[in-house]
Amino acid sequence: MSTLTKVLIVLLTIASIFLCGIVVTYVANADNYKQKFENLNRSYQAAKRNEDNAKTQLNNTIEEKDRTAERLKEQIASLEGQITQLKSDLATAERERDDANRKVNNWAAIVMDFSKTIENNEKLVKDALTERDMKEAELIKQSKELKDTTAALMENMAIVKQLQEETKRLLEEKAELQSKLDLYLQQYGKAAPEPTPVTPAQEVVGLRVPPVDIDLNGTVTDVDLKNQLAEISIGEADGVREQMRFHITRGDEFVCDMVVLDVWPEKSVGWLDLLGDQQQDQPQVNDRVSTNL
Amino acid sequence: MSPVLKSGSKKVTAADNLYTVVLAVAFFVVLATSVFVAYQCYSQYGTIFKIQ
Repeated sequence: MSTLTKVLIVLLTIASIFLCGIVVTYVANADNYKQKFENLNRSYQAAKRNEDNAKTQLNNTIEEKDRTAERLKEQIASLEGQITQLKSDLATAERERDDANRKVNNWAAIVMDFSKTIENNEKLVKDALTERDMKEAELIKQSKELKDTTAALMENMAIVKQLQEETKRLLEEKAELQSKLDLYLQQYGKAAPEPTPVTPAQEVVGLRVPPVDIDLNGTVTDVDLKNQLAEISIGEADGVREQMRFHITRGDEFVCDMVVLDVWPEKSVGWLDLLGDQQQDQPQVNDRVSTNL
Repeated sequence: MSPVLKSGSKKVTAADNLYTVVLAVAFFVVLATSVFVAYQCYSQYGTIFKIQ
């Protein structure tokens, strides 16, 4: 065997070992592309399925969003209608509130007026009661005086009757004496002169006050039966004065009397007198009042 | 082939069997490498030579 052959054998062996080592190292360290492909393919399929699911979910979400948008639009339209209705209701409520406030103010003013009127009426009632007590006392006094006067009158009438009888007796005696004197003087052809009384006859003079017919007429405008007060439509301008007595009538029926307590230019207030217990005997608004029946 | 020692010369030469062993080693190394590569190809791609 030649030396060259030996050298080639050795070189070939070394080269084979070297190359085989390199190949083994490379193959051992090479990537498993099939496994990578399969992994990537599975990942791709999974991603594709995820994409399909995502598209399906997206479409469902879009459809749901559209339905929700439609429903929300309908709700918005409904709510706008409700808002319009509520605005109109609010405006109506505000108007009613303003009206109610005005009514409250009016009623407050009316209540204040009524309070003042009640105070005046209470004062009038007190005055009327005081005056009634005074009148009652005066009436009792006058009744007593009337009794005394009646007793004196009866006594005087008895005296007058006695005097009349005395006068009658004196007249009879005078007629008898006159007849006797005439018979006595007729014997001598004379006649007795007409006797002249020593005390001249006095003419009876009486105080005669002609009635004044003022003839005031009006109507009852308000009645307070609890306090027995009434208000009439005529006042000082028509000639009404305090303590003036009016007759209240309804049609042709007499209801009661009213004595004026307080007078204003256009109206008067007085307490009711001769008030009956029945409903028809009590005065009402629009009854007629007059000074003369 | 045994080593031949020639008297009188100092040059030492290997026997031919040694190179046969070297070649055999080289052959088995190449064979083992081929088997290993074929196994790897088959295990990874399912075939040895076919390209899918």
